[in-house]
This record gives sequence, C-alpha cells and structure tokens, in this order.
Amino acid sequence: MAAYITRRLAAILPTLFLVLIIVFFLIRLIPGDPAAVMLGPDASPEDIERLRHLMGLDQPLMVQFGRYLLRVFRGDFGMSIAFHMPVTKLILQRLETSFLLALCSAVVVFCLGVPPGILAAVKRNTLIDQFLLMFALLGASIPSFWLGLMLMLAFAVKIPLFPTSGFSSVFQTGNLANFRYLVLPSLTLGFVNSALVARLTRSSMLEVLQEDYVRVARSKGVRESRVILKHALRNAAIPIVTVFSFTFAGLMSSAVVTESVFALPGVGRLVVESVLRRDYPTIQGLMIMIAFLYLIINLITDITYAFIDPRIRYD
Amino acid sequence: MRRYILLTLLCVGMVFGVLAEQPKYGGTLRYATIGEPPHLDLMLVTSDLASTIGQHIFETLFTFDEHYAPIPLLVDTYEVRSDGREIVLHLRQGILFHNGKELQAEDVVASLERWGKYGIRGPIMFQHVTAVVADDKYTVRILFETPFGPWQSLLAFNNGGPMIIPKEIAEAAGGKPLTPDQYIGTGPYKFAEWIPGKYIRLVRFEGYKSREEPPTGYGGARHAYLDEILFIPVPEAGTRLAGVQAGDFDYAEMIPADLYSVVKADPNINTYLLRPPFMALLFRNTKQGIMANNLMLQAVLAALDMEPIMKAAFGELFELNGSIFPKGTIWYSTAGTERYNQANLDKAKELLKEAGYAGEPIRLLTNTSYQYMYQYSLVIADQLRKAGMNIELRVYDWATMVKYRAQSGEWDLFVTSHGPIPDPALLTALSPTYPGWWDTPQKNELVNLFNTTVDFKDRYAIWEKIQALWYEEGSCIKLGDFYTLNISSAKRVGGLDDPHQPPLLWPYFWNAWLKG
Repeated sequence: MAAYITRRLAAILPTLFLVLIIVFFLIRLIPGDPAAVMLGPDASPEDIERLRHLMGLDQPLMVQFGRYLLRVFRGDFGMSIAFHMPVTKLILQRLETSFLLALCSAVVVFCLGVPPGILAAVKRNTLIDQFLLMFALLGASIPSFWLGLMLMLAFAVKIPLFPTSGFSSVFQTGNLANFRYLVLPSLTLGFVNSALVARLTRSSMLEVLQEDYVRVARSKGVRESRVILKHALRNAAIPIVTVFSFTFAGLMSSAVVTESVFALPGVGRLVVESVLRRDYPTIQGLMIMIAFLYLIINLITDITYAFIDPRIRYD
Repeated sequence: MRRYILLTLLCVGMVFGVLAEQPKYGGTLRYATIGEPPHLDLMLVTSDLASTIGQHIFETLFTFDEHYAPIPLLVDTYEVRSDGREIVLHLRQGILFHNGKELQAEDVVASLERWGKYGIRGPIMFQHVTAVVADDKYTVRILFETPFGPWQSLLAFNNGGPMIIPKEIAEAAGGKPLTPDQYIGTGPYKFAEWIPGKYIRLVRFEGYKSREEPPTGYGGARHAYLDEILFIPVPEAGTRLAGVQAGDFDYAEMIPADLYSVVKADPNINTYLLRPPFMALLFRNTKQGIMANNLMLQAVLAALDMEPIMKAAFGELFELNGSIFPKGTIWYSTAGTERYNQANLDKAKELLKEAGYAGEPIRLLTNTSYQYMYQYSLVIADQLRKAGMNIELRVYDWATMVKYRAQSGEWDLFVTSHGPIPDPALLTALSPTYPGWWDTPQKNELVNLFNTTVDFKDRYAIWEKIQALWYEEGSCIKLGDFYTLNISSAKRVGGLDDPHQPPLLWPYFWNAWLKG
C-alpha cells in the first residue's frame, strides 16, 4: 500500500505541470484582457493599450509563459491583477469558507442521502419508498438560487434565526458561533446534492440485498439491522463513496451559485470573478489548486476502497 | 386632566422625535455593493463603485453642488486670468493627508501631472495645458495654450479624475494603479483594509478638516459621524434586499427595477433614485461596414420605439428623453430630438431602400454581464428585424464585447450605457478614437470650438449645434435615461434625507449617521 501511495503522489507533480501548461494557454484564447475590464466602460483604446503595456500583456506569449514558469518554480504564483495581492494568499483566504461550507454541506448530503436511500431500498415499493423518491426528485429539480433565497426569506428575514449572508472566520477567531453563517448555505447545497446520493444508495443497496450472502445471513437468523448495516451496506458502499467524494470536491470548488446568493467569499465565486475579470494569475493558481484537490480526493477515495473491501489490494 | 396628559405625552414624543433625528457619532455602516471595484485609483478607473468608495478617501480640487454645478473643495479661492488661459488656484491651508503630511501645492502639481499623463480623463484637459506650476506652498497655476471651457468640471469629476494624493505617491505610482498601501488621500474617511470577497473597510480620519459652508450635494461641510463604513460585495440583488430587511445591511445599491413597488411600500425601507440618471445607448460603426452609411442611422432612428426598449430593462425607472443630457441639467436641449423615438416602421423601410440595403447581416454586440443591456438589446433586435434589417445578435460577457467592439471589422452595432457627466467634453461618443469612431470635419471643428470657449452661453449654443449634428451623422443613438434604485434601512440610517444633499450618482456617507 505504501508503495502504491508513493507512486500516486509522485504522479501528482507531472499532472499539475500539464494542467499549468493547458490552463496558461487556454485562458489566453478567451477574447478580452484584464486591462479592458480594469479600466471600465468609458476607457479609450489608447488607455487600454497603455495599461496592457504596463502589465506586460503586450509581450510575446512564450516570454510571458517563461516568466510565469520561473516564478512558479520559486513557489510564487504571482500577484492577482484584480485583487492586488499574492495569488497564494488570496486563495488561502477563500479556502476556509469553501472547506467549511463543503464539510457542513457534506454532513447534510450524508444525512439526507444515505439513511433515506437505505430506508427506501429496505422498504422498496412501499409508500415510504415513494415518498423518499419524491423527496430526492425534488432535491434534484429545485434550483439552488431559489431554494437559497426561500430559506433566507424564511429563516433570516421572517424568523431571524440566521444571518442573510456573509461569513466570519472560524479558524482565525476561534468563534464556533460563526458556523451560523453556514447553516442556510449548507442546507441549500446539501439538499440539492443529496438527491444523487440518495438514489445511488437506494439502487446500490437494492442490488446487494438480492445477493446470496445476504440471503444466507438472513437464513442463519442474523438480526435484520446487522444484515443491512454490516453485510449489505459495506458491499454497497463503493459507488456511494465514489460519488460522495467527488460531490465533496465539487462542493469545495464550484458552489458558485450558493456562494453568490449568500455572499460567501469562497473559491467558486473567486473562479467566476477571476474569469470575468481575466485575472490570469488567479485563474492559473485556482485551476492548479482545484486539480490538486481532485487528485488528492481521488487518491483518498482509492485508499478508502481498500478499507471497505478487503479483496482490493494495490500491492 | 386627560388633555394635559395627552399634551405632555405629545411634547415628550416630539422631543424624542427631534432627538432621534439629531446626528450622532459612532457605529459601522454596512453597505451592500453589487461587487468589488477593480481598484480605488480614481484617476485610472471609471467604475462607479470605485468612485462611490474612493470619494470618501480621496478629494478633488473642486466638486459638485446639489445642482451638479462645480464648486471648490480643496481649493479656497480661484482666479481666471488672460481670458481663460491662466487659472490660479489658492488652496485651503491646514489640510492633512491620511499619512499626516500637509497638503501643499507640490502635491497638487504632481497629482495633476500624473492625471494628465495617465488618467483616463486627464488627456482631455492636458492636451490644452502648457504647464502646471506651484507659485508658493498654497498656490497652483494652470496655463492653457488656448482657453479651455470645461476645466472646472473636469477638476471636480472624480471618476477617472484628478484626485489629489501626496507627491511621493503620485511619482512612485506613475501609470500603474495605486496599491492599497498607497490609498492616501485627504477625505473624511481613510482606507483600512480590503479583504477580497468580504469587504472594503474605511475608518474615520480624525485629522479631517471640513469646509464650513452648509452641505450642498458633494460640497460644503463634511462630518464623519460614522466610525467605520464597510462596503460588502453581495452579488445577488435579492440578498441585498433581504439583508436590509433583516438588519444585516444598512444600505444596499442597485435594487432591480421590478422590486421598486415592493420596497416603496415597505415602511422600514427608504428608497433613493440616484440623479442625474444614466443614459442607455446604441452605437453604430461609422468607420466600416453597412452601418457607416448615414441613411442607415436614419433608418434605425425611424424604426426604434423607445418605450418598450426602456421598459424591458428598467420597469418604471426610466424617462424617455432625446436630449443627450437629462432634464434639469444645464446642458439639456431639444435640438435634433424630433428624430428621437419615431417608431415608424414604414419610414424605416423606405430609408433602408434608399440606403441600398439588401439584407446584409448586421452584427449587434451585446453582453450578459450588464443584464439591462442584454434586455434592451433583445427588444432593439426585434424592432429592427421588423423594419427589415437582418440583425445578428452576438452575446458575450463584458470583457469579450469590449475586445470585439475595439475592432472595426467585427461589428455594426453595440449596446452600452454612459454614466452622468457634468460637461459634454466628457462624452465618450465625441472622441474620434472611441468605438463608433465619429470623426467628421464638421463635428471635430464644433467640438474644438466648444472646448476652447469659456463663456457658458456661447458654449451652450455650440452644444446645441453638436447635438443636432449627433442626430444627423453621429455614432451613437440615445435610447433614454434610467435611474438606479438604492435603499436604506429607515430604522438605522439618518442624514440621507437632506434636500440639499440629494441622492447623487455616487452615494456618500459623510453627514450620515446611525440611529439608535
């Protein structure tokens, strides 16, 4: 296992380098440049050209790439054009919000996805199953911005239990009460994303519950709860873990709509803002961070498989 | 007895009512913005949000009163000599920058020179300037080659304008936008911190020296009652509104027009329609392509029915107005406006025939970054199609549209808007280098004459001629005026209802306070 993990970790660097090259050239294919956005609607072409020159954007692309590469090798991802601060610092500032939002949302996804999925499979073709399926369908169909605004109206404006928007750091202040900022966004994101997990858990469980070893366990008189939670769920878990882990990565990197509705300073919003402002250094830094995140989550998922299913061996 | 009790209660109530409206120091005003400005270097940006925030930090030599007329701010008195070829500015004394240094003439000279060289609107004035000199510690002289009419308005307009910063910062920054550590001005609030995505925080500048005249518009006395102002980016309009309703924000900008009746009916919310209004515009390419033909301009003018165009984007918050400048401003004129809002499809078809138009595609650029532009471009496209024009609507984000509109071979029409300005000299459509490229000898001659005339009556007469020509051969079609809707919490914010300090384009919070 250790050798396998080392191999996988070693493969991360060349993958990230490839991502860096692709992103650097791909974003420059999008028409428009940061100078035009920075100067605003009333700027003349001369003003835009002058600022492009000052920012070095009129240099040949390969020269710009060479300079960028040299900086990255020194661990410097450059300065954000739009936010005037080092890209690394900017991304780190946003990571806390996104990480905590993803974590809280994952709890909601788990609670609304896995137990109802198991229950629906066990109570197959009953009223409970139909109700839970309807609930999952609702989650998959409701636009997150609408659900977010409705929750805000209900639990921030009419019954003022939570703040409408914003976020204050939990790590920096040590104030756990700041989790209140994440309640409504997490419910929004969690509900919308739980539908897939619930349906997958149900179908995966249904498949496993037909297996011979489940029938044998039942015929041996093993308690039903033990049959479901130990024998069936463990075997049904691999697809659920796969979907769950990638849902987590998605929640961390692309919860744009929810972050916008609740004005959360997260990674997803930063991605969109950077693209709209053509903030090349920030987009590059973000894409590398997101690629790294997916690679690590992928690795953790693979390792988790081995723990769930002893038949899986990587050595 | 009962009458006495009632009378006493009434008196007590009145006293408390008056007391409640008295200005008081303290508190943090939370302003929900639509986003974040690119930076706060007002010389190098025309973003309205940058002006709104930056005007609390930086000040200009002049500013605007409640009627949008220029009045002194950092300047104490001024003289116009040599028929307008020489302006002498006597600065107020004892004004401090946020770094503790006293404002002196050398700072003004360095700031004006930086603005003239790199500022967005600086070259408009500096192409006429021969020198800016400091005569003594508090006197600055500006020398013009020829008289330059709009000098005072330009020195007052902070958007892309000449904010005054310390000499060392002006020289060190050159053409690059100032960095946050260089945000040093003379305003009533100073820059404290900017956490991207969370807020921009300003704090009261204790060393601020206010003017002593009564407040009027952006001018007169400025009192910093608030301890802090937070500008919080909240991109979703519904959230900005809900935030004010729930008490999470005290003030919110750019509430959609379709919510106007809702917020107007809420007693806990004060509404503000910012004046002067913005202009909704449609540009044509006069340099290249089918729209370069003036008859095509006339066909478009004949075809457009402005009411549905404006209504689609602004609900009831608009005004049909063919004058380039809004009603109530000194530059309002009806010259040429008989061609505005004709809604005559038959006439448009005739004109298209006369222009020799044979159904060639007409590329209309629009964008979804500014939703209102996208909304009115849909109606424009529909109306022009009904007149017989083969409109190809090309939808981009703002940055991409800016890129394409700079290339004359890439478009025929594009939509945009223009913020209110104090002088026609600042109209982008009059610049021969601005996309649209209106560059005819007659127009250039009139604009030159306009800029070198100092007397207002003479300038107004020339402006009327320019506006009439605008409708004959210009690169830009005025669609109408539209208002921005801002709101505040009626329970929390005081000082925003003074009739002498109306809600102007860039909301300002000196002289505002928090109740309770």
